[in-house]
Amino acid sequence: MRPRFSIRHGTALLLALLLAVALGATRTEAQGAGEEQVRTELDLLKEQLRRVEQQLKQQEELIRRLSGEKPGGPTPAPPAAPPSAAAPQPAPAVVDEEALKLKILEALQPQLAAANKTFPAQFNPAIGFIVDTVLSFTSRKDQADFQFRSGELGISANVDPFVRAYAILNGTNAGGFDVEEAAIVTTSLPYNLTVKGGRFFADFGRLSKFHDHDLPFVNRPGVLDTYIGGESQSDGLEVSWLAPLDQYLTLTAGAYNKIGASNTRVDNTVPRGLEEFTYLGRASTFFSLTDAQSIDLGVTDAYTPRVRANDGGSRNLAGIDLTYRYTPLAAAAYRGLVWGNEFLLNSERQQTVGASDIGPALFRYRDAFGMYSYLEARLTRRYYPGVLFEWVEDLAHTGRVTNAYSPYFTVWASEFQRLRLQYTHLDAPRQRPEDQFFLQWTIIMGSHVHSFRDR
Amino acid sequence: MKRLFYVLVALVALLPTNAPGARKIRVVATIPDLADMARHVGGDLVEVTSVATGVEDIHAVQMKPSFAVLLNRTDVVLLLGLEAEHAFLPALLEAARNPKILRDAPGYIDCSVYVTPLEAPTRIDRALGDQHPMGNPHINLDPVLGKAMVRAIADGLSRNFPDDAATFHKNAAAYNATLDEAIARWRREAAPLKGKKLVSYHPDMIYFAERFGMEPFGTIEIRPGVDPTPGHIAELKRRMLKEHVEVVVRERHYPAGLAETIARETGAKLVELPAMTGGVPEARDYISFIDYNVRTMVKAVTGG
Repeated sequence: MRPRFSIRHGTALLLALLLAVALGATRTEAQGAGEEQVRTELDLLKEQLRRVEQQLKQQEELIRRLSGEKPGGPTPAPPAAPPSAAAPQPAPAVVDEEALKLKILEALQPQLAAANKTFPAQFNPAIGFIVDTVLSFTSRKDQADFQFRSGELGISANVDPFVRAYAILNGTNAGGFDVEEAAIVTTSLPYNLTVKGGRFFADFGRLSKFHDHDLPFVNRPGVLDTYIGGESQSDGLEVSWLAPLDQYLTLTAGAYNKIGASNTRVDNTVPRGLEEFTYLGRASTFFSLTDAQSIDLGVTDAYTPRVRANDGGSRNLAGIDLTYRYTPLAAAAYRGLVWGNEFLLNSERQQTVGASDIGPALFRYRDAFGMYSYLEARLTRRYYPGVLFEWVEDLAHTGRVTNAYSPYFTVWASEFQRLRLQYTHLDAPRQRPEDQFFLQWTIIMGSHVHSFRDR
Repeated sequence: MKRLFYVLVALVALLPTNAPGARKIRVVATIPDLADMARHVGGDLVEVTSVATGVEDIHAVQMKPSFAVLLNRTDVVLLLGLEAEHAFLPALLEAARNPKILRDAPGYIDCSVYVTPLEAPTRIDRALGDQHPMGNPHINLDPVLGKAMVRAIADGLSRNFPDDAATFHKNAAAYNATLDEAIARWRREAAPLKGKKLVSYHPDMIYFAERFGMEPFGTIEIRPGVDPTPGHIAELKRRMLKEHVEVVVRERHYPAGLAETIARETGAKLVELPAMTGGVPEARDYISFIDYNVRTMVKAVTGG
């Protein structure tokens, strides 16, 4: 049993008395009352204060005695309230402190929530800004360069009960700000459907959906740069469906002006016939081998029936992505291994002979294959060493292969700051082998969400 | 006639599975603590699955696509709340495409709603580490707050399935009465912990310390979620020696080496504790989890 008159009550009374003194003094000054009256009042208050102090001491003593009880022993009867001339003590009552706290919280909750909601900035979208800067050195030119690779502003918010939206605006060395993504995504369609529209990274493979600063290494693998055109940026519409099965399986279908931010085959700004859109189909699944080991597997095909730049021929880009992960459950932040792979096959009409006085340009279909594979270990929460291997066939010339290997070492100072050192040995056809060194420094300010597509 | 008979038999055979109410309520909890509570509250009416097994760091649970499948089919999701699951739950909810359990939908049951969080920051700043803007989320380590979580589960399930509300509240009251008995016992057993200072790897022992009269002294992490620097460790050890800190807690999902070194060099006892139900084999359910933590801590402090 606990005394009903706690220290908290005593303190409140004390504060009330002090307030009364202050108010009384003010009123006295204002009204110009006699000093004698004030002195009498003060004496009265001093006496009350003395009694309250005495009461507080008694309460403290009581609490000390209660908290000093032997563990496991019988609960002692509450000590009798000490006699006090100040005020009659209320009878001690059982007060369940936790129950009282819960009741108060319940009563407060609506007001707190309402106060939050009336704050206008609450409706502002979440905002984050990423700075990605790289110091690079290349042996071919024997020159170094500080590259401001990107200053990326990301904003996101729910629009209404049915859709959310996000935008990524990116400023680079090239100057100006580009809308890298600005997309609307449904949140509550039935039948496990999600529709995405606007400008976004099409669901092609794995790393083509990562922004540059999110990549596990400094540069985007050559096969993605060459075959897709960097990030899979697309203006279009995409529908994705999660199959209602025990096995995870998502199917995606999309139609876009083109896929690839730096894909120059297609002009993104002009209207076109239906046969000039790029159509995508993708299936991705997941296998849990053990609690700690898993495989992500995806198959994608992007088909463009007619590409003007390729003499009106079609283009097909197929890809397989396979990612193995080892992440021990009890040390997910400190240990782990990722083995990521993507294989791409491009098939399109390529110009074999240029137009001349004696005849038009000649085109023929060529298949080109490229891939990358990387292995990255997580040694601690900070240190992530890895190595990337690339093998890319020239799109237009079968047999001309660029290969590269890049050991790298990433240091995460915190979740929001990263340093990365990378060496790349590049062996491209008809060029001297080249050695490149990179030091990358990336930070994230403000909001940053852990997105499912970046896993 | 015979054909009609077979059709009728087939229809009757199908009836039990199609009858409303035949299917159990599907509940997915983010951590096993909530799953255990939900089993007590829901009884036979619910079928409960947990995303985490209990050995994980709640801030680093993997985003497995298979969890999206679980969440896609569930009727409700139970979460610890206070942004404890920020690293995986928002993205999984998006991937799950289940409008019933989106944030603020009825099926999104935040179990922290009746809890007054400690360490609510007065300033939000990344220089202060991975802050939780609404306060420290490790409320599951305090069994008294566990009762509040049970209430939140009962209320959440009742909101979604009002026909069974009486059952949920009756079960919750019975489980909370069991918890009350256990809490009284833990309070007696934990008497030797009173006033003992403790250092933990991450600031997740604060609710346990508050409940059982211990004094959180510092953390091995320099800031929540940020690994320590050598300078921080040296300063921590100096302060621990000066202030006679007796306990170093290593939550079992954090690396052992550094905590062991600090304990050895400061003469403190190293205590290895799970942060969730299921974190050690002995912590089979929520009560045995708190039981394990109290007894392990008392044993370390008393040298028993």
